[in-house]
Amino acid sequence: MRKEYRPMALGFWGIGFPLVIFGLFFCKTPAQRLTVFLSAAIFLIVGTLIYRAKQ
Amino acid sequence: MKLAAVDWIFIVWYFILSIGIGLYYSKKAGKSISEYFLSGRSLPWWLLGTSMVATTFSSDTPLAVTGIVIKDGVSGNWFWWNFMLGSALTVLFFAHLWRRAEVVTEVEFIDIRYSGRAARFLRGFKALYLGIPVSCITFGWVTLAMVKIIQIIFGTSGVAALAICLGLTVFYTTLSGLWGVVATDMLLFGVAMLGSIVLSVVSVEKAGGIGAMVEAVKALGAGTGKDYLSVFPPLGQALPLAFFVALFVQWWAVYYPGAEPGGGGWIAQRMLAGKDARHAVKGTLWFTIAHYVIRPWPWILTALAALVLFPGITGAAPGEMESAYPRMIAFLPKGIMGLVVASLFAAFMSTIESIVNLSGSFLLNDFYRPFVRKNASEKHYVAASRVLVIFVSLLGAGFSYVLGSVKMGWQLVMELSAGIGLVLLLRWYWWRINAWSEIAALSASAATAVYLKIFPDNALVRGLGRGLEKAGFRVDAWGVGILLIVAVTTVAWIAVTFLTKPDETDKLLAFYRKVRPGGVWGPIARLNGGAYKLQAAPFFGWGLAVLMILFLLLGLGKVIFISFGAGAAYLAAGGLAAFLLSKVIAKIDWEGRK
Repeated sequence: MRKEYRPMALGFWGIGFPLVIFGLFFCKTPAQRLTVFLSAAIFLIVGTLIYRAKQ
Repeated sequence: MKLAAVDWIFIVWYFILSIGIGLYYSKKAGKSISEYFLSGRSLPWWLLGTSMVATTFSSDTPLAVTGIVIKDGVSGNWFWWNFMLGSALTVLFFAHLWRRAEVVTEVEFIDIRYSGRAARFLRGFKALYLGIPVSCITFGWVTLAMVKIIQIIFGTSGVAALAICLGLTVFYTTLSGLWGVVATDMLLFGVAMLGSIVLSVVSVEKAGGIGAMVEAVKALGAGTGKDYLSVFPPLGQALPLAFFVALFVQWWAVYYPGAEPGGGGWIAQRMLAGKDARHAVKGTLWFTIAHYVIRPWPWILTALAALVLFPGITGAAPGEMESAYPRMIAFLPKGIMGLVVASLFAAFMSTIESIVNLSGSFLLNDFYRPFVRKNASEKHYVAASRVLVIFVSLLGAGFSYVLGSVKMGWQLVMELSAGIGLVLLLRWYWWRINAWSEIAALSASAATAVYLKIFPDNALVRGLGRGLEKAGFRVDAWGVGILLIVAVTTVAWIAVTFLTKPDETDKLLAFYRKVRPGGVWGPIARLNGGAYKLQAAPFFGWGLAVLMILFLLLGLGKVIFISFGAGAAYLAAGGLAAFLLSKVIAKIDWEGRK
């Protein structure tokens, strides 16, 4: 019964992966890069937790 | 401001994701009214709590906080931080009762608690009042704020983009009901927070880094005689009446959307949609933490950076102070700019979708079904709900076009219901309150607010103002007005309660057995064969919850302003309060079966 939440998990991964690209190519300073990479990590982890959550 | 191709790609991608998630749930939502408005009462705490905080995080919220900080400093936020006391009260004393009541809407509560024609009138009136004027004004206010943001970012051409965004949001909300709303809210809150954090980091960098920014703000404060960084109003001066009213009156007296005394509106809707009472409690606690501890600091940082980057903004008009927030977007590099613009759309969409779903629930469940078309099929009611959601959306969009400034209307709506909070709290715990008590509270509150609008400088206001000044307060018209409205309303509803008959015993007994509230239910408890006791644990829990929020809020602030020692101490105290609170919550029997 986990599939109910899966679109939400896909949404979080769908934002998390582009953030990694933004962190690599568009951030101008270390502080910006750190913020974007940390945010990407949070999005990917939350997406995974939602994917594994039981209904 | 000019967006690069990569910004547009991210914005379009964000829309595809959020609308795709919303549409996925459309089939599930069409099964019944319970699915459409309450997600089949199957939401886990993390989903319902995040949906609450996503809804309260609107496009105008960061702007409002920016305006407050630029005008009054960080301590100005007590204008809304005071509601943490009420929110913690809702967690410990009301969330589980809402879930046990098993109604579809906040308004349906009237049907299971009160009896007679007064109850029928009150239910119909509140369904229309909350479903049309209050919802449309909220819709219009949020949309107008977003129009202002869009015009700063894109110029007038952005309004067409906003209309498309609005149309798409209403489209998937209409089809997918609360399932679509809460599922997209998860992502929308994440994106909205991401945008505000990234914007705060870039803003602080532009202001010279956190250390230089703090020094510059302190220097600015020394020049203007204000302490912009203090979390509390300065001691040793006359206490602002507004701060006193916020801390001791506003949170239990004023019906403010998202912070209704005892829960209401979209907060109650999500508690009712929880898997069980425990999930409703935990979800509301998560909302309270996210709302008061996690959300504000990025906005505060951006506002403080604006103080440094825009010299002279402290003397600007309130609207211009608020506009400092979207103006900061100009400092963002390409790619990141698209991300922040998408976050503003996310904040806007998460509020709009909840408003239209909620107002649809009032109009369908509390007006159409009991008064217009009884005993129709579930399919009919779901179809009618969808029509009502579209109706409210069109009306709300119309409001935002017609009204140049909704703020005055919005303030009036707040003032009209400024004194009703106590009756909303006590109706759960005191058997004697009846439908007339609520009607009296609503009427007295509205009448006093209108009287004060027409005659703001009357003998009563002057007398109370002088008395408060003598008592050492720095008096303002708003604080005096709220105190008067609350006093008149409280006297009126208590008098009416004792002058009218109690509700029918059968109705009260059925409510008492179903909700099992505890409190003062004398004759009803005796008829029940025993009373449900109000335990001491929720009172301890309330104190712990307030301390936890306060310490975590202060601790985060200290860490951000590089006072690591004090920050660690506050965070440790907050962590201890959280640990003790978790023990209290685990101990309480939320279903009330024992």
